[in-house]
Amino acid sequence: MTDSSHSRRVHLEGARKEALATSRSRLVVTSVLFAVAFAVISGRLVELAVFEDPQARATATASRTVVQSKSRADILDRNGILLATSVPTASVYANPRHLLDARDAARRIVTVFPEVNEERLFRRLNSERTFVWIRRNITPNQQFAINALGLPGIYFRRTERRVYPHGSLTSHVVGTTDIDAKGLTGIERSFDGPLQESEQALALSLDVRVQSVVRRALNTAIEKFSAVGGAGIVVDVTNGEVLALVSLPDFEPHFGGDVTAEARFNRVTKGVYEMGSTFKLFTTAMALDTRTIGLNGGFDATKPLRVARFVINDYHAKKRWLSVPEILVHSSNIGAAKMGVAVGTKTQQAYLHALGLTRKARLELPEIGVPLIPSPWRKISTMTISYGHGIAVSPLQMANGVAALVNGGILRDATLALSAPGAVPAGVQVIKTGTSIKMRRLMRLVVRRGTGKNAEVEGYLVGGKTGTADKPGPGGYAASRRVISSFVGAFPIDRPRYVVLAMLDEPKGTAETFGYATGGWVAAPVVREIVAALGPMMGMAPSTETERLPRPGDPLHIAAGKPSQTAGNQRVRGQSVRGPSRATH
Amino acid sequence: MALSSSHDPELTLGRKIRQIPWVFVLLVTMTASVGFVMLYSAAGGNLEPWTSRQMPRFGVGLAVMLVVAVTDIRLWLRYAYVFYGLSLALLIAVEFVGAVGMGAQRWIDLGFVSVQPSEIAKVTLILALARYFYASRVEDVGRLTHLFVPALLIAAPVILVLGQPDFGTAVLLLFTGVVLLFLAGVRAWLFAFAGLAAVAAIYPVWQFVLLDYQKARVLTYLRPENDPLGAGYHILQSKIALGSGGLFGKGFLQGSQSHLNFLPEKQTDFIFTVLAEEFGMAGGFGLLGLYLLLLIYGFAVSLRCRNHFGRLVAMGITSAFFLNIFVNVAMVMGLLPVVGIPLPLISYGGTAMLMLLFSFGLLMCVFVHRDIALGPGAASGD
Repeated sequence: MTDSSHSRRVHLEGARKEALATSRSRLVVTSVLFAVAFAVISGRLVELAVFEDPQARATATASRTVVQSKSRADILDRNGILLATSVPTASVYANPRHLLDARDAARRIVTVFPEVNEERLFRRLNSERTFVWIRRNITPNQQFAINALGLPGIYFRRTERRVYPHGSLTSHVVGTTDIDAKGLTGIERSFDGPLQESEQALALSLDVRVQSVVRRALNTAIEKFSAVGGAGIVVDVTNGEVLALVSLPDFEPHFGGDVTAEARFNRVTKGVYEMGSTFKLFTTAMALDTRTIGLNGGFDATKPLRVARFVINDYHAKKRWLSVPEILVHSSNIGAAKMGVAVGTKTQQAYLHALGLTRKARLELPEIGVPLIPSPWRKISTMTISYGHGIAVSPLQMANGVAALVNGGILRDATLALSAPGAVPAGVQVIKTGTSIKMRRLMRLVVRRGTGKNAEVEGYLVGGKTGTADKPGPGGYAASRRVISSFVGAFPIDRPRYVVLAMLDEPKGTAETFGYATGGWVAAPVVREIVAALGPMMGMAPSTETERLPRPGDPLHIAAGKPSQTAGNQRVRGQSVRGPSRATH
Repeated sequence: MALSSSHDPELTLGRKIRQIPWVFVLLVTMTASVGFVMLYSAAGGNLEPWTSRQMPRFGVGLAVMLVVAVTDIRLWLRYAYVFYGLSLALLIAVEFVGAVGMGAQRWIDLGFVSVQPSEIAKVTLILALARYFYASRVEDVGRLTHLFVPALLIAAPVILVLGQPDFGTAVLLLFTGVVLLFLAGVRAWLFAFAGLAAVAAIYPVWQFVLLDYQKARVLTYLRPENDPLGAGYHILQSKIALGSGGLFGKGFLQGSQSHLNFLPEKQTDFIFTVLAEEFGMAGGFGLLGLYLLLLIYGFAVSLRCRNHFGRLVAMGITSAFFLNIFVNVAMVMGLLPVVGIPLPLISYGGTAMLMLLFSFGLLMCVFVHRDIALGPGAASGD
């Protein structure tokens, strides 16, 4: 392209020649710069096409789901019943910079949203910001009305609202989300990531029917006995699945912040309580398992047990030697304490630990309480823990521990996730199978002959144990006169499938219960009601066999002609309680 | 003047037509055809709504280009300031009667066609600056005071376009002007100084001049991942599309990013992405290769031209063409912030296509008249 020969023939003034030279050199510089720029974009093209992270290519298809359907995944119960879903809604916001007249806009907007304070809205609209929420999750009618106002600078954004079709029934399990659909509590929190990322609905082990039965039964009892709260849980002992988990009071999950801390508190998983006599099941199991004593063995409960400055009493003192079955049936504190001492502190610690009672429970909820265990663990601790005092565990831990006692001795973590049909999660053998079978018989005996009679259901064999524990309050245990009454049952006890636990917080006795507020009087009937509904619901045929009482010669035979009256032998009120002898039945 | 005239063989129309570089016309047509194909694809395999309208526009533009190619270059020299003035008038008019499109006032509706005055200004600015420097004496060009008029010539359309607001086109106008100043021989240290001043101006401009949406674009450019569903969405989707094309692309009409509407403005600003997704790196280089040939032609014409005016016009047109390509392609690849600059000859758009072909007409006109000497008096009409 050079035309040097050509230009040489042309005579231009020197200055113009110089101009040409400058121009040419500048032109070359410019072309070089352009060539470099071209090389840069070519290089970038190669980089993007060839060296780009293959993940970016995957994103090309994956991002489609992100943009098109950003819905948070549904939560279902074990039968596919919807527990939580997302409903698309519109939310209205303003770009204050696009508003013509903030005063006028505020005045007209409050005609649609009377609950919005006009002055405060005006102050927010009259700003230099570019984004101000006016109202989230509005109704289609409200959206229409806002549109009809024809205000520039007012826009809508597609949002979604979390809806819980069963409302408060599942509030403690399913939990809640914040206004931006991020999990705050419960399953919504613990599965926040998967729920946000996956479109696959999350199936829980929960059964809404069972949940409903448990809640109704607990609610009735709470009203009847003027209790401040209650807890109920149903666990499948064969795989650890939780079918129902009810903590009362509960709350309406749609109302956002207007919920009391009391209602938000999950008594089943977060609350830890001295459970009282139900702990005697663990004491008995470890004594039998270690062969410290046999079913034929027993302890002298003639007189109260004095340890240092403490005195351990029986409420309904038999004042005689009691066999192991009698200790459970009559819920003897003296007998349990002696059994605990015979087992020994180290062994007791080991068993309680193996049964998951001294560590934080594992469940797919963020609200899990830490058990309170004595430190140091003295001999007196061993004694009181034998009958359920001096140690505080959650009802969840209690139910799960009992499940291991009756299912053949295998402890599995409780779970809210639905496992595949037939899949049995691995567990840890914590007591011998033989001990477990003995425990079933003993628990059955408590319901037949002991403090748990009110849990008896026709057709279904229920075994269990009552517990009534004094609740510490201002001024100590005695001053508060408040109790935690519970019943933990397993059924069908000949081949246990479910553990059902009911607990009432501060029940008060009524005329019907002769003033008693013990586990046998207030909590056992709740379990009876649950079992009566649960059995048929789960397709369990009622047992038609006639059950025979243990005969004389059987260690479980209780010789006394008159069996221990259900809970009727111990008054809680007006009891003079000294030291750790507070327990119970 | 007489001296140079004696060397000018007055060209007849026939000779001019024979001088037309037909290879260049062919290259332009090929490039535009790539555009038709991509618009067809962007419409999901339909001639409507884009290809069917773009093709006749190209036809008209091609005719205009050929006509301009054989006009007398002195005509453009003589009326350069008039055209410049007219385009400024249009830019002012657009403030009052302009149609708002995509949040900016950029179009004037003339009834049968809507015109984007900023596209016209791109060409008239080149003509005006070339006219100014052609008449300047070499020793004047080096003087600072001599830069007052060209600075004004550049600033007027830049400010008007910035007010529309069309940041991208304003930057292109500014850079085209600056490149012309450089080519005209303005002292090199001035550019270094101006560059430093520009860097120093970043803070006040950011604080007081840029609007929020422009700031958002710059921030998004710096970190698009921060706002993948908002302002960063365009560029991320574009990069994903470019990457997903690989070496040879997903195939014609198979680009999922483009066809599932992930790409914004795919018929205009992001059409290069559609191409690269469907035809891969090979397709991208194919188009860049066509562009490179057109640019080389432009530089060649400029080098070959013996008169200062023609050289500056050719250089200005080539530079503006290059800047358009570079800014657009760099933008869709995430090398530059998202500014609304179409891809020359490919993107859907009437005025841009027409004015580009018009400027190519001027380029060819310069080539046709490459040996004509234009003395300082040529502009006055003698």
